[in-house]
Amino acid sequence: MDELLESVVRGLGRGSVYALLALGFVIIFKATRVISFAQPAFMLAGAVMVTYLVGPLGFWGALAAATVLTGLLALGVERTAVRPMVGRPAFVVAIITLGVDIAVRVIVNAYIGNDVRQVGDPWGLSRVELAGLIIEKRDVARIVTAAVLVAALFAYFRFTRMGLAMRAASYDQEAAMAQGVSVGGVFAVSWAMAGGLAAVAGTFVAVGENVDGLMWTIALVALPVIILGGLDSPAGAVLGGVIVGVLQELVAGYQSHFPWLGGNISVITPYVVMLIVLLVKPYGLFGTREVERV
Amino acid sequence: MRKLLVIALVAASLTACRGGETTTDAGGIKTDVGVTKEPCPQAIDQAKGCIYLGIISDLTEGPFKALAVPITEAQKAFWKRVNEAGGIGGYEIDVTKFVKDNKYNPQTHKEVWDQIKGQVLALAQTLGSPTTAAIMSDLKSGNVVAVPASWTSQWAFDDVIIESGANYCIESMNSLDYAVEKYKSKSVLAVHYAGDYGDDAAAGVKFAAEKLGLTFSHLKTDAGADKQAGAIAEIVGKKPDLVILTTGPTETATIVGQAAARGYTGRFIGTSPTWNPALLQSAAAPALLALYEQSAPWNSWTTNTPGHEALRKALTGVTALSEGYTAGWVWSYPLKAALQKATANKDLTRAGLLAAVKSLDSVDYEGMLPTGAGNFKAGATGQVKVTAIYKPDKAGVTGVSLVKDLFVGPTAQAYTLDSACFNKL
Repeated sequence: MDELLESVVRGLGRGSVYALLALGFVIIFKATRVISFAQPAFMLAGAVMVTYLVGPLGFWGALAAATVLTGLLALGVERTAVRPMVGRPAFVVAIITLGVDIAVRVIVNAYIGNDVRQVGDPWGLSRVELAGLIIEKRDVARIVTAAVLVAALFAYFRFTRMGLAMRAASYDQEAAMAQGVSVGGVFAVSWAMAGGLAAVAGTFVAVGENVDGLMWTIALVALPVIILGGLDSPAGAVLGGVIVGVLQELVAGYQSHFPWLGGNISVITPYVVMLIVLLVKPYGLFGTREVERV
Repeated sequence: MRKLLVIALVAASLTACRGGETTTDAGGIKTDVGVTKEPCPQAIDQAKGCIYLGIISDLTEGPFKALAVPITEAQKAFWKRVNEAGGIGGYEIDVTKFVKDNKYNPQTHKEVWDQIKGQVLALAQTLGSPTTAAIMSDLKSGNVVAVPASWTSQWAFDDVIIESGANYCIESMNSLDYAVEKYKSKSVLAVHYAGDYGDDAAAGVKFAAEKLGLTFSHLKTDAGADKQAGAIAEIVGKKPDLVILTTGPTETATIVGQAAARGYTGRFIGTSPTWNPALLQSAAAPALLALYEQSAPWNSWTTNTPGHEALRKALTGVTALSEGYTAGWVWSYPLKAALQKATANKDLTRAGLLAAVKSLDSVDYEGMLPTGAGNFKAGATGQVKVTAIYKPDKAGVTGVSLVKDLFVGPTAQAYTLDSACFNKL
């Protein structure tokens, strides 16, 4: 039983990171109807910034600075590469974000250098006993950080003028503009927010680990997560992240009972989930069903 | 007119495929592809011609770039030293003009090879086993000699590949002999990448486990720190006495660090590509220092042999030292010997170089490998079988210190390499 619960806690830790990554995708999608494939690059960029800033600023200072800087980077990308494409098909803009992802990662890779880098987090791989369970402190840190950020984001959407504007623009951009909402401002804030979230997610992926050029691949798991939760649902992104994270850890923990499935089945678990969801519930758990009048 | 144009294009492409024309230089040496009368771009002696060698390595974003970049730098230093000593047969050697990045991707490897294959005599480096396999048919059909930056046992059966050091299969056998003697291990789990690299080591582990009476199991894993949950669960769940790792450094840190954090207390031995001194700065460092050792096909940077001394002298000023430098240097000796033999035979064509390789019964590694190493004439039976064991050491110049000097274990000694090991996993 302890083994099961410890796997669940590890899964919650992993899922918290997925949730932050997925929230970035969803926020951009809600605002612009485009899936931004630049999120992996922002995630890597944020983590690499922390590895450089942790010396002078300490872990939390470096995290805050990297979050702001990555948000600004994402904002810059939106202004220079995405904004000129407003009005073009979403597919075209998505392809542009793919190009941005590759370009940013090439630059970031140069800053990683030949060796792996560390974010200098205070937890490392140390463990703590909690309610009889041996759990890693970094998992607790991941869960708490994600919970605080998700709560803050939801409060922002609910109680601030810009949050309200973002929600309005996501429903109907033209109607929102008619009411004085700056849709361009909504786009900009969405991209900056998604960049900041990616930086936090990247940093918490790397706690207790190393930052290397392959780290960006973890951001791809956010795609099954948003398919599961619903492309335009922040709540779905959070729940989807948690479900996928826990599922992955449980599959990894119990894969030895199913040797015929191969040795590393947890790696493909999110994509199997995505396939099933697409077949059974194409709009995800909380996604808005599209109505087309013919 | 259009027909003429098509014919001309076809003729031109056929010529390109065939490579350069065979000519004979003033010294009576036959040459074809990748050898020019004109001096090298960075020639020391402008009167000498140039032999162009290509390098295809993992230089930017693949899992082995921490090793690949030093390997490449060491090879540049090696050939610079050869040029400074007068070159070979009236030629200097260039390994700087045709350097390509494969990103450890077989498809990319093939693409960049296609870009340079009409311009180089041989490959001074082709990094990776699955990547090199992607161009193997080309190398064979074109008689292109290539220096691998990998140790799969398949190379013993490919004439065009001039490998150095014990392959992963033999190295793993030696690791098991060592672990059984030192730790009395009774069970072993091989955690490995799929393909010629990981499967080769796992096959060696399997063979040795059967001979030594150990319980054997293996698990294939993927590149990426986030993809190791299955491997960690397997180690923590099965609790083998010994884990043999054939992954990259990032995966090593994740697996060793997290398995130890979850209570695993057995031993890890990783093949040489699993190590990177930067891991000593990671959160996994205490676990690595306590549980991990590295097997290696030759001795490390600090060893006192003429070859190691020349290496250190050639790379004076390098601060971030790694064993990649040692590997790049050692791997270059057979190609130097083959070029010398080919020029002595007055045949520096691709076919002539391959013939020279096949006639080599030993290579002078300046003491970096035992006497008799480099017996390409003997084929698979001429394979060197020595392995050294190192442990992480923060005081070590390259982050490691010697545990057991070069040895051949009884299992590897008795093993006859009759085909590539990875086929037997």
